[in-house]
Amino acid sequence: MVGIGESSFDFRNEENASFMTSLNILGYEWKHFVRSPFKVVALLLFVAASVYGLHNGARLYETQMDEVANIEAKMSEARQECLAFYEADQKGPEKRPWVDVTTPMWAMWYANIYHFNTPSSAMEFSIGQAEQYGFYKKITTRASSYDNDLTQEIANPERLQTGSLDFAFALLYLLPLVLLIMLYNLNSMEAEQGFLPLIEVQTASRYWWLGSRMLFYIGLLWIVLLGLLIYGAYLTGVFTNAGFAFGQMLFWSSLYLLFWSGLFFLLIRNSTTILSNALKMVGAWLLFAFIIPATVHQGVSIVQPAGFMTELIDAQRDQIWKLYDLPDSVLHARIEQRFPEIANSPIAEDRKKRQMAYKASTPALFNDLVKTSIVPIEQAYRDRNQLIRWSTLFNPVTFFQNQFNQVTETHFDDYLNYRHELQSLIDQQINTLVTDTWEGKVVTPSHFENYIQDLSQP
Amino acid sequence: MWHIIKNEWIGLHRNRAFLGLSTGFMMVLLLTVVLGTLQTHLQQRQYESAKNEVRQQWENLNPMNPHGAAHYGTYVFKPNSLLGSLDEGVNGVTGKVLRVEGHVQNEIVHSEASQMQAVSKFGKLKSALLLQYILPLLLLFVAFRSVNSEKQSGRLKLLVLQGGQLQRLVWAKVLAVWLYGMALLLLTLVAYALASSSSIDANTALRVLFFFLSYGLFYFIISGLTVLLSTLGKNATIALTTMLGIWILWTIFLPNILMSTVDQWHELPSREAFKTAMKADRSKGIDGHNPSDERSKELKEQTLKKYGVEEVSQLPINFDGLRMQADEAYGNRVWDKHFGRLREILAHQKQDYQLAGVLNPFISLQNASMGFAGSDNYHHQEFLVRVELYRRDFIKTLNDKHAYGGSTTGDWQWKVDQGFFKSVSDFVYQPVRLSAVISHYFLDLVLLLAWSALVSLLLIFATRKMPLL
Repeated sequence: MVGIGESSFDFRNEENASFMTSLNILGYEWKHFVRSPFKVVALLLFVAASVYGLHNGARLYETQMDEVANIEAKMSEARQECLAFYEADQKGPEKRPWVDVTTPMWAMWYANIYHFNTPSSAMEFSIGQAEQYGFYKKITTRASSYDNDLTQEIANPERLQTGSLDFAFALLYLLPLVLLIMLYNLNSMEAEQGFLPLIEVQTASRYWWLGSRMLFYIGLLWIVLLGLLIYGAYLTGVFTNAGFAFGQMLFWSSLYLLFWSGLFFLLIRNSTTILSNALKMVGAWLLFAFIIPATVHQGVSIVQPAGFMTELIDAQRDQIWKLYDLPDSVLHARIEQRFPEIANSPIAEDRKKRQMAYKASTPALFNDLVKTSIVPIEQAYRDRNQLIRWSTLFNPVTFFQNQFNQVTETHFDDYLNYRHELQSLIDQQINTLVTDTWEGKVVTPSHFENYIQDLSQP
Repeated sequence: MWHIIKNEWIGLHRNRAFLGLSTGFMMVLLLTVVLGTLQTHLQQRQYESAKNEVRQQWENLNPMNPHGAAHYGTYVFKPNSLLGSLDEGVNGVTGKVLRVEGHVQNEIVHSEASQMQAVSKFGKLKSALLLQYILPLLLLFVAFRSVNSEKQSGRLKLLVLQGGQLQRLVWAKVLAVWLYGMALLLLTLVAYALASSSSIDANTALRVLFFFLSYGLFYFIISGLTVLLSTLGKNATIALTTMLGIWILWTIFLPNILMSTVDQWHELPSREAFKTAMKADRSKGIDGHNPSDERSKELKEQTLKKYGVEEVSQLPINFDGLRMQADEAYGNRVWDKHFGRLREILAHQKQDYQLAGVLNPFISLQNASMGFAGSDNYHHQEFLVRVELYRRDFIKTLNDKHAYGGSTTGDWQWKVDQGFFKSVSDFVYQPVRLSAVISHYFLDLVLLLAWSALVSLLLIFATRKMPLL
């Protein structure tokens, strides 16, 4: 213990004395900290890991942004190519005589409409589930929001399983450990050396004394956290692009620090030995960081196991092929039932063109099948996530983890919303295709530009 | 030495806190085995049901053109790993569903991790989680005072004066702690064997043996190192805090940092770059659906020459089927080049990560554990390769039927019946034999052995120079 015996304060003015004692404690705690290489090294390692994590997150953000820019450039190139066909009064590429960009179907194909889940610049704080999903997709009339190309970016599964060292990882798992290292000998060392009665005489309340000492470390760690968050914010321009996210990150990380501080205070306030302190704190860390989340994870996978998506498989293959097998009369009747308005359209009267219009409208039926198959899948997602949310009552680390993911827009729900946006764009494109085809629309460059404009916004 | 070990155990046995902790830990270990087995059974049921459903759909196909059937395709589902209930490895983050169809090698999709919000960064409550992270910590708490308390109490000096050998005493302490870890490990594996007795064959048993060996070596490193620090440290707290620091560094800090680093050293392409490159290579080949394609014309000329006829209509076979197969053969070369390159990069990443075991034996343990459990990336890649081989065989069967089954060129209405679809073999996954992959884990085992040897040497030297007080 450093300097308790040296502390002095004026007994004549109790308020002043208390204030001075607090200052003394903080001052001596600083000395205690800098003279303890184990604690200094632990803090430096935490800072190093956090900075590394921030750069890891920033790298992923930049990679995704570059990919978005790259695809946008390709989109623009392909669109210019198509506009050149209109200008040259060509139907399409010479090598593809079947293409006719004046028809809505081909015009939409050449419009190259992509929808992106543009990453938030706050992603560097928490990569979350960003590596488990795709973030760009071409919208076509035959696309679905659960297509194979929406799967994760190419990645080493062992790295995904180990988990990336991002800032959230440092925050969730290393911060409590650093706090543990800072606090493990507080109270217990004095208890082992028999100083506690003396401290009680000097400070009136042992808990107040312990709280003041802890306050030093909480303050120190909070300042470090703030510094790291500001450093991270400058890496990807969070203040400019997602200032609110910065505030939220600061709020949740401060609350997380307080949670562990409160828990550790309860554990060490009556400790008598360093060993029991260390054991209790490590035990609590293991319980909250490992055992409870792992048990919940295991429990969820037993109660609500993730399936093989057979509903979707059936729809995308068997049911769609069964539609192909239907006699034309039945298929056409279904299309008419789905779009009653086509009965009065100009093409309905033209027997030759009508056949092509029915063909162009078939994706609407495929889309309906896929959408129906998605309902139970998403219901299972909701049930599973509801179970996980319920567990956060006793599973604080998972709770905070998902809060960080939500702030940085890398949460499961963000990707589910993205799927919903995709579905809405697919629906929009199909409806426009059916309407314009049955209207007999001849696509001009201005229509083409309109397609790009209208069919890109969910 | 046996007497000292026995004494140590009696001492531990008398400690109520230790007894309570051990009992609790044993219960949790057994629980992980039960839950792991239960989950494996559930997954197996789901797997069988999905597999049967897809096969039934294939066998009950309405008469269809063989190439149409190639587009209809089938699905392959990823089965459970051999010891997946002990160590899940990468199975939670890899996809489980792979579409098998003509013209394209698809990627595996629909991972478990993508079907729920984040829960645990360290995976499910599997035995491996406790055996890798918690049990070493328990050993550390048992061992950190072992020699130091003897020194502090003066008993060490007394024992030496009575003729006891210091080396023997220290080694007995190490072995007592190590055996405690081994007993818990054995308990887990026996429980696993009992719960999975019906599915254990020689291959699985051998894997369990190596699994046991890897953990045994790691526990020796932890026990030895902690006793070593207890021998060297001025007080037990230094031994404890140092070992805790090492544990944090080894299990939490280094695996993440080193894995991220090797990922940056050997960078994988982005999906867009990967697809664009494949598309570019693919476009240089034959297009099975485009008869006016230059390479199609070339193939047509060769075939006409081979059969000595002038028109495709005179061919005794269906040229469309030949063209489709030529398209596949070219595509296969493209997939081999690009997917092969991916596998190469992944292999380089793995090799470098394995080398990191020089710094951190925990990495060697993790690699060996996943590897012997059959749930690491090597096994995953092996599964993907086997599915691709099946796909090639599957599509070739359909294209051959199209070409030589009795139809003529251009007759896309020609259909085959259910009898033919039933005759096409289903995908059967034979678990990888350990002998075929064990070379991948030699490095991990060697590094664990090297660490054990290093700790032993340090213990010998430290004991020789150890002050008795």
